[in-house]
Amino acid sequence: MRPTTDMLIDTLVLDVPPVRAGAVERRVLAGLAIGAVLVCIVIFATLGVRPDLAQAVHRPTIWMKWGYTASLGAIALYALLRLARPERRGLGMLWTFVVPVVLLGVVAAVDMARTPPAAMPHLWFGHSWRHCSMLVLALSLPIFGGFLWAIRALAPTRLRLAGAMAGLSAGGFAATLYGFACQETSALFVLTWYSLGIVAPMLIGSIIGPRVLRW
Amino acid sequence: MRATEGELQTLMIGGLNGDATAQRALLRALAPVLRAFFERRVHSDAEGIEDLVQDSLIAIHTRRATYDPARPFTAWAYAVARYKMVDHFRRRKQTVPLDDFAEILSVASFEAASGAQIDVARLLEALPSKQAAAIRATRIDGLSVAEAAERAGISESDVKISIHRGLKTLAARVGV
Repeated sequence: MRPTTDMLIDTLVLDVPPVRAGAVERRVLAGLAIGAVLVCIVIFATLGVRPDLAQAVHRPTIWMKWGYTASLGAIALYALLRLARPERRGLGMLWTFVVPVVLLGVVAAVDMARTPPAAMPHLWFGHSWRHCSMLVLALSLPIFGGFLWAIRALAPTRLRLAGAMAGLSAGGFAATLYGFACQETSALFVLTWYSLGIVAPMLIGSIIGPRVLRW
Repeated sequence: MRATEGELQTLMIGGLNGDATAQRALLRALAPVLRAFFERRVHSDAEGIEDLVQDSLIAIHTRRATYDPARPFTAWAYAVARYKMVDHFRRRKQTVPLDDFAEILSVASFEAASGAQIDVARLLEALPSKQAAAIRATRIDGLSVAEAAERAGISESDVKISIHRGLKTLAARVGV
């Protein structure tokens, strides 16, 4: 036993706080919660909740949007929790991303089949295509920041993938909160513009992951 | 006498419950294990190896919340050690000190320049993929020969020959 290592160990064990079960999950969810609260505040203060929310929840469209975005957020969150630990475990569960995309794609295809050509542009672009993706990206940043804060205290060893999943989950949950403000109803619109806004933070995360998450 | 997985896991769980005595025993037991792990994979002097051991002990202690008691302990600890080792190579800008070529180089001018660093990653691009992969696996990713053989699906002697030939080619390129 080398003496300096001996001394290091003695110093380290001066501080041995108990660690409760589920510490990793609590930390990551705390990051999500802090970011989500910030996003809610921003939505309330700027965009405002959609005035017809009370009526909209009785129709299927808003649930379709919430289901799509929240499931992307949740799948990425599950991956992120795995990536927060150092062991290389299989991430075969990532294939489940396909499910919400395909489901929404089917709804969009049915919509398109039932829409006359003249109305197609509106089905796709809606009213807000110009700023929808940018808004989802912007709203994802506080949650993304929360995730990065959480993960930096943990032990990710696949940094690019961890960054990507942090971004993807942040995008998914931000888009879900955005669904409280946005009044678009077309599945094709959501599949295109919401997805763009959700994928953007994922790409950012994959780029900055290796820089920001090193420990 | 090396501690077993079961003993280490028990100590680790004790430490997670706040038992400082268990945590101390764990870290003390881990130090020689880590030392042996790095000595087989990192070509560095005793001080460099000890730095890695200490970095790993710090990480194992400060990130212990990421260990799931339901899973094997040594797998978790080795994952941390491997990460620190890769980071060690990365911080040296993926270079390898020239004295790693010492086995095939005996030219006096190179021994004199053995403090210089070469960007191995760039040099590897010039090699056949099998040799580059073998060198990358053992020198940059820090795998042992056995692990590199498993990853590439070839025999261990195949890996060793590929490394030897690759290093010879690189030495020629560098201008021995």
